[in-house]
Amino acid sequence: MDSRDELAARLDACQKCSVCTAQCPVAKVNPHFIGPKGLGPDMERFRMGQIIQGETTLDDCSNCKTCELTCPSGVKITEMILNARRAARQAPNSNPLSLKLRLRGYVLGRAEYLGKLGVIWPSLTNQVLKIKLVRVALDRALSISESGPLPAYAKPLKLQGDKGEKLGASARKQVVYFPGCYTRYNEADTGRIMIKVLEHLGYKTIVPNFHCCGLPLEANGQFEQAHKNGLYNLELMRPYLEAGLPIITSCTSCGLTMKEDYPKLQTTSAQLIGTQTYDLFEFLWQLYEKGELPLDFQEVKASYGYHPPCHLKAQGIGTPALRILGLIPGVKIRNLDAGCCGLSGSYGFKAEKYDKAMKIGSTLFEAINVGAGRGDFQGMTTECGVCKVQIQHGTGLLTEHPVCILAKAYGLIN
Amino acid sequence: MWDAIVVGGGLAGWIAGIRAAQRGKKVLLVTEGVGTLFYFSGIFDYGDVEGLRHLPKHPYTLFDSQAILQGQHFVQEICPEYVVSDQPQTAFTVLGSVRQGDLMPRSMVLPNRQAQGRFVLLVPEGLKDFFPEIVAANMTREFPGWQVSVKKMQVEALAEWTRLGKSVSSIDYAAIWRSEAGQRALAQEIEGIKRQYQEAGKSSSQVVVVLPSLVRGYFDSSRTKPFRNEFSLPVMEMSSFVPSPHGRYFAEYLKHTFTDLGGELMIGARAVSINGEATVEGQAKTCQELIVHSMGKSLRLKGKKFILATGGLLGGGIKVSMARKSITEGVFDLPLYVPNEWSGPKFFAPQPFTQAGVETDEFQRPLDPTSGQVVWDNVHVVGRMLAHWDPWTQRCGGGVSLTSGYVAAELI
Repeated sequence: MDSRDELAARLDACQKCSVCTAQCPVAKVNPHFIGPKGLGPDMERFRMGQIIQGETTLDDCSNCKTCELTCPSGVKITEMILNARRAARQAPNSNPLSLKLRLRGYVLGRAEYLGKLGVIWPSLTNQVLKIKLVRVALDRALSISESGPLPAYAKPLKLQGDKGEKLGASARKQVVYFPGCYTRYNEADTGRIMIKVLEHLGYKTIVPNFHCCGLPLEANGQFEQAHKNGLYNLELMRPYLEAGLPIITSCTSCGLTMKEDYPKLQTTSAQLIGTQTYDLFEFLWQLYEKGELPLDFQEVKASYGYHPPCHLKAQGIGTPALRILGLIPGVKIRNLDAGCCGLSGSYGFKAEKYDKAMKIGSTLFEAINVGAGRGDFQGMTTECGVCKVQIQHGTGLLTEHPVCILAKAYGLIN
Repeated sequence: MWDAIVVGGGLAGWIAGIRAAQRGKKVLLVTEGVGTLFYFSGIFDYGDVEGLRHLPKHPYTLFDSQAILQGQHFVQEICPEYVVSDQPQTAFTVLGSVRQGDLMPRSMVLPNRQAQGRFVLLVPEGLKDFFPEIVAANMTREFPGWQVSVKKMQVEALAEWTRLGKSVSSIDYAAIWRSEAGQRALAQEIEGIKRQYQEAGKSSSQVVVVLPSLVRGYFDSSRTKPFRNEFSLPVMEMSSFVPSPHGRYFAEYLKHTFTDLGGELMIGARAVSINGEATVEGQAKTCQELIVHSMGKSLRLKGKKFILATGGLLGGGIKVSMARKSITEGVFDLPLYVPNEWSGPKFFAPQPFTQAGVETDEFQRPLDPTSGQVVWDNVHVVGRMLAHWDPWTQRCGGGVSLTSGYVAAELI
């Protein structure tokens, strides 16, 4: 840890300038939320004196990390809030959440189990979830908003083992793919397209039977389970990490979790995961720089608005997808960068938060509607699955993962 | 390989990045956070340019007066609400006193003090850190020929805030004014003021509505609807407390201008060091790559030119350890000029520490203060990191940052 990190880790680095609260998407729409400065560094002083807030106060934070990106003094605000939530859960005299909210946390945190259930018979699940009565029931029973854009389920992504092949430098080019729950259960097509693209580049993709990365669990207060998932996934990755294989993800939130949280876990492979995890386009850009990215692009006559997800920004890698797509003849992209979409994982699915999530996203929706209305672009593109769901819900504009555009350029899909 | 990598997302960094991108260069801007632009009042100060140019090492001595003027016109070009004027202009501070400025948005420029008229100070409910009585008293003192009245207004969207007795920051109000509903509410309120005057049989022709933080200047028509000026009375805006809406929206505006020109922003990444060596023995070194800490790993970013825009003591570009055991520049580890005396006893007097920074040659390349040799051949230093100036007492913060950023971009 260098001196800057030490300083930032300390509470005193916060100069109380309130820039984080001014940028916080939640504080903007929710007067009951005291904002990141209040909930993070200000209340941290009380927490140090063992005064622990209830979970509902802390629960208003959507974990988008805009405050951390914003802070001019490098204070880890979201981390402070997450730790406080952990403490609130364990506090002996804490005022527990109602059974309903606990149950909801359990359900929404387990995107993975929902996924496993949903894909048994995807068309049936989707039909059932479209029934108004079902949504009303979910709203009453679990406070899952009846208006929220719950994603549809599809045929799940097939796992691909390494089939006992030799791993590492002398073997043929291999990558490990961490699809994440959304790609695996809701939108496996994106995953299949990505595997095709990697194949076109000469890479064999290994897809082990990973569990959920843990982020939705954490966001819903299921800290122990999140920790267990992290350790399980790392153990599954260990042989690949030790053989030097890159771990690739097409989901920016899974990517952030693997880069930010997994290195802190107490297991040997934790030391490798940070440096070996790549966002798909971060990986492709690295190939391009080495001259290994095939440039046999067909012209793609299409224009897109681009939404950089909050959890991509938090990775501090810029916008590699735009760099790659910029190489394709014909593609026109405008980087909208108009703030958080509001959904923030499962935040916008919660009944009491749905309206706020839509308000948070309104700046982005307006930018999209104005741009599309003027003919600046025809479709939207973004890496994050739930941002995509929310954008389609808020604007009705077709939104796809940037890898789909790349696959079109390689002639792999139409 | 980037044509230029700009390190730091403050005023000087953005200006350098935008100008370089406008010139068709491939530019990457790396920044850890949003920088100190959130403290920007909306007004650029240039100070006594000719006087400061006579100080032997002041950054203004690095530029000819043509460059200083070009920098001003560049701001006007990218944000047409700023109008270059050879007359000094004045604006209301957040306390209602009057301050001079050299380049400010049209909507902030005060009318003639000798004339007569009426100011209606429109105060949105619960505006944080805003004291209408003090502001009105100061306005009356500054404009003796003008009548000043205070009118309060409520906004439907913030009814819940009002009910809770919670204050609303000027940034939140600025967001409301920029929305369709907010513009409508404001237009109605102003129409109401006009009618009131007319019904009382008074002329409304000399009425000027003064509003805190309208931030009309930074509308981005490429992403959102342009501000429609449909108010029935002239509206003037004053500057705000920090975090300032002018700063927030100007930063946002610069970001969008930059990315629309093809520049790439890498936020949340901290530049930590560089690699490079001298191509000819004994000559200045050439920087090849910048090492940046992203989440989980270090990135090596290769560039032809590098612009150091990390700010000074406030922005975090210059790090001072406890008891000043070390005073360093954190990315390039450049040698710094550090005054012998660090501070003086009078708080508002010029303080020696403000002069700390990197000395450069006429191309803004860093110099070793002892040998006078150029340290890096392809590195240009801009903004607060430059040595031998003091934005507080010389009032030239905007001028030095704008000009140095603009000129550095011309060298790429």
